[in-house]
Amino acid sequence: MQRLESFIYWILKSEFRKKMVILLTIAAFFASLLMFPLGGVLARMLPGKSATTYSIYVDTPTGSSIQQTKKVTGCVSNILRDEEEILDISIFYAQGIPLDYAGLVKGSLMKRTENVAEISVNLTPTSAREEASFLMISRLRPVIQETCQNLIPGSVIKFVEQPSGPPTLAQIVVEVHGENIPRTRKLAVEVADILTNTKDLVDIDIMADDIYEKYQLIPNIEKIALAKLSIEQVNNILYLAFEGMVIATKNSENRSLQIPIFLGLSDKTKRLKDDSYNAIRSKLTSLTLMNQQGLMIPLTEVVKIIKVNSHPTIMHKDLKRMINVIAETDNVSQVYPLLEARATMEEKFSDKYIVSSAPISTYMFDLELEHKRTGEKFLLRWDGEMKVTLDTFRDLGAAFIAALVLIFFLLVIYYKSFALSAIILGGSFLSLIGVIIGHWVADLVTTQTFFLTATSLIGFIALMGISSRNSLLLIDYAMGLIKDQGMERKRAIALASATRAIPIFLTAVAIILGSALLAGDPIFGGLGVALISGTVAAVFVSLLFVPVLMDNTDAMMPDDFVKPPKEPSKFFASLGTMLDSIISKIKNFVLGYLEKKKEDKK
Amino acid sequence: MGKTTTEPYVIKDVAGKLGQGFLRNPLTAVLGIVILALGWIALSTMPREEDPQIAISGGGIMVVMPGATPLEIENIISKPLEKKLREVQGIQHVYSTSMDSVGIVNVMYYIGENREDSNLKLYDKIMQNMDMMPEGVHQPLVKPFDIDIDVPIITVALYQNESSRLSLVEFNEELRKLKHKINGIDNVAKTTLHGSHKEQFNIEVDVNKLSAYHLSMGQIVTALKQLAVNVPDIKGRTKGNKLVFFGVSNAITSIKDIEGVRVTSYRDSPVYLRDVAQVVQGIDKQNFQDVELIFRPNNDTSQALSKNISQVTLSVSKLAGTNAVFVAQDVMKLIEEQKPHFEKLGIEYRKTRDYGERANAAVDELMHHLVITIIIIAIMLVFALGWRESLIVTFSVPAILAITLFIAYITGQTMNRITLFAFLLSLGLLVDAAIIVIENIHRHLHSPGVEDKEMGALLVEATDEVGGPTNIATLAIIMTMVPMAFVGGMMGSFMKPIPYNVPVALFASLIVAYIFTPYLSLKLLKKPEHPENNDLEHNPYGICEICSGSHHTHEHHENTATKEEK
Repeated sequence: MQRLESFIYWILKSEFRKKMVILLTIAAFFASLLMFPLGGVLARMLPGKSATTYSIYVDTPTGSSIQQTKKVTGCVSNILRDEEEILDISIFYAQGIPLDYAGLVKGSLMKRTENVAEISVNLTPTSAREEASFLMISRLRPVIQETCQNLIPGSVIKFVEQPSGPPTLAQIVVEVHGENIPRTRKLAVEVADILTNTKDLVDIDIMADDIYEKYQLIPNIEKIALAKLSIEQVNNILYLAFEGMVIATKNSENRSLQIPIFLGLSDKTKRLKDDSYNAIRSKLTSLTLMNQQGLMIPLTEVVKIIKVNSHPTIMHKDLKRMINVIAETDNVSQVYPLLEARATMEEKFSDKYIVSSAPISTYMFDLELEHKRTGEKFLLRWDGEMKVTLDTFRDLGAAFIAALVLIFFLLVIYYKSFALSAIILGGSFLSLIGVIIGHWVADLVTTQTFFLTATSLIGFIALMGISSRNSLLLIDYAMGLIKDQGMERKRAIALASATRAIPIFLTAVAIILGSALLAGDPIFGGLGVALISGTVAAVFVSLLFVPVLMDNTDAMMPDDFVKPPKEPSKFFASLGTMLDSIISKIKNFVLGYLEKKKEDKK
Repeated sequence: MGKTTTEPYVIKDVAGKLGQGFLRNPLTAVLGIVILALGWIALSTMPREEDPQIAISGGGIMVVMPGATPLEIENIISKPLEKKLREVQGIQHVYSTSMDSVGIVNVMYYIGENREDSNLKLYDKIMQNMDMMPEGVHQPLVKPFDIDIDVPIITVALYQNESSRLSLVEFNEELRKLKHKINGIDNVAKTTLHGSHKEQFNIEVDVNKLSAYHLSMGQIVTALKQLAVNVPDIKGRTKGNKLVFFGVSNAITSIKDIEGVRVTSYRDSPVYLRDVAQVVQGIDKQNFQDVELIFRPNNDTSQALSKNISQVTLSVSKLAGTNAVFVAQDVMKLIEEQKPHFEKLGIEYRKTRDYGERANAAVDELMHHLVITIIIIAIMLVFALGWRESLIVTFSVPAILAITLFIAYITGQTMNRITLFAFLLSLGLLVDAAIIVIENIHRHLHSPGVEDKEMGALLVEATDEVGGPTNIATLAIIMTMVPMAFVGGMMGSFMKPIPYNVPVALFASLIVAYIFTPYLSLKLLKKPEHPENNDLEHNPYGICEICSGSHHTHEHHENTATKEEK
């Protein structure tokens, strides 16, 4: 410790060495900040975690039958069958799997049509498995999608992992807002195409019904009235024949439910030969209706059959029509593919639309499109995990600033000095150097990308407190030495740094060891790395940088110390004159404005 | 360093006061034991879950209007409903889906809105505006989301093996009985059978025969409806004023009765239902929500996966705020009790989801991390300060965690990933206060002039000396955490355990450091008896490494400690 003491004293003695310390620290700070634009450190809200379960959503085009859906799921389960780490697979047809966190926001509960299925896959325990679940998904995804999606053209197979944080509809959601339904649909398809061609984006899906052909029976009102029938009768008979209907129920003492009596055409006789007009017509001819007089009238006599397109579902969000296009990322942060896709969109849409960007907010990636010819307006809004990430980082940033302000006031109350408080805060802010470099190193060391996550941010906020504690103990002790024992300033600071180095080291080692296990965790890894590397940086900052700043301030001196009236007064004096001139200018301006108003009124 | 003056030390900080107050108090030990006991109680009874509960409230309103096209639904139902719902306070987004014949409007409240209030507001708004419902729509269905009840914590796949002789209907009936039993377990909220089928009499009409007999489907319906009626018993009175009961039984009791329904007459000979249709006692064939299972027998990865077997998945959810671990265990116990009965019937089962187990595993893993970390820190402190000091710091960690856990428990929090994350995060910070205090005590014990001081006074002085900056520093860390409580949205809700628990833990760490560190130091540490003796080999007593000398520098001291260890 003697050596540390003399080393610090050696630095403090020379103005040049002091300046060097400050310069080096500032250089390190900006160098580490540069890592973000240079891509040395990638940001993401929460990384994936290896889980023991995942699910696969299968959607065949709207209007597909359960048999067609089963064909696709059969293909999927056949590929899964070769996986050695799978313990069991449950396939849920025409419904969602028992609800989980992911399904909660992805609309699993609403699924009840024949064209959907969900597959839940359980894997061997994570400890016994080499391959992380998300890596398994990225390996299987291309194989399964290539083989099975084309069985029924237009099918979409999506892989759903359990979210490590709060669930979102998808990592990337583009809401295509627009009042003109067909044009919005077209735009949504274009957006989906761009997403498909963006690297690292997978599982792209347009959340809208497919338009399919259907037959419409148009009742001939005149004929129906003449035949003394009713339209309700026509509807019922069709429904009864093809869908079937429960027409009565029977209670039973040894069954827990009522037994329904279900009437319908037999499967063999209701099947159409094919989906042609003639097949339908001939089938409908054999259905007859009985009128009030007891006469039998064939159904085809009173209705006309025409072929139409189905009406797709209309979706609204906050009273505006929109279509969601969703995409997931393949184990990367969603920020970078998003920016890439957005740039492509800006370029591609600019020949047909006037593209303008949204102002800075958590919707800042939005694109507003105005059709050059028709003047119709569309909005591409980015939602999903990106929005949650931006909101979270914004809120955490605000929390961080609030924390800074709170600490600053606390310190000012304690020390009654702005300079000292600023030193402590500035010092603790510098632990960011360690956090960023730590993430960079962690990314170099690990095989997968190591992201700067929300947990890293929380770690950084906690670090602020930790390193301000270091500086606090240091300053407190040095002030004690100067005030109570009358020690010379540089000596006192050097001695204080050396003495306080022990608890600073000890607590730092405690934090590093305490976080070591965290660093290996997929979710809390960011926090672990932030704490470890940030603490290392904090130790350096409190033992080298803070003493230099302490030496530069007069707040360290005892109360009866007479300030050399040079520097601070000059600074404050110039600040004071500047403020004065600004205030007088504002005053003049306001007064002048008021005068002018008065004159105008007159 | 420290003070070399012998004048009595004046306590200036709350740290010294606490230290002084508890230093020779016999209740301090009791307090320590009580704290640890409370922590243990909290640890074993606190509800465990994997993810923290997020207050997501919302709901859906479904309005059916038969025959309307999506555009009509949009205009008549979705738009007016959306507009009305925008009037409700606390709603973040309104979504609507307009389909053929059906309009669904979903609302999402801001995260953290009180769920009961939100549901009430939703009902209230709909009921107030019932008069505005257009003609021809059915009664609207209002369904609030209920995450606790909707997300099952445990799912079990039940299936019949090859030897099972149960019919599908009987199998389903067995499952329904099981479901009923599970509903009786404490804290079980909702049970669902996915992929189950109901018994049903299926009347399959041959369309060709229908035309051959000149029949319409409508006639069959009328004929059946006339017969399948349940009537209550009828009372008659005798002359002696006695009651006589007549009961009319349902005319349909079996398939035979249905088959024998006379539909019409054709050329004066009756036409029965069996002539035009086949009646089967089967299952609800119109329900295509099947579930299949593929599994690896005995979870043995060397065996191949089975072929697709049809199964029924039983899912069970728990009530809010109850322990997922206990509920899951109770459910599994009940199912295991049924095992002999199921074996006889050829029913097998397989657990396909257990959040209770997962919560337990996650909690246990993090607890394991905590223990390892404490041990590592303890070992580090043995080298840096000596084993007695290390012991004192090591005690403080469980004490702090116990206080924090107990406070979390009584404030109704659950133990989940994020709570434990908060503990891990604070772990590095928790020992700080104790380390700073013990380091100062250690330094005082080894500074010149120590012989003249009374041990208790010295401990209090050492504690009090670092009290001021430690308080401020800890307050500073607490202040970094507090604003996090105001982070909004899903993530803010998700992280809530951090701002709730870390400040409590830090505060507890201060109290523990001030109360127990001097107390335990008094019990465990001794003043060095020969401060002038700098050499370990010449230590005549060899009682403890701290007694072996007073050094200004700690490197030296570390050496002695290392030697002792060896």
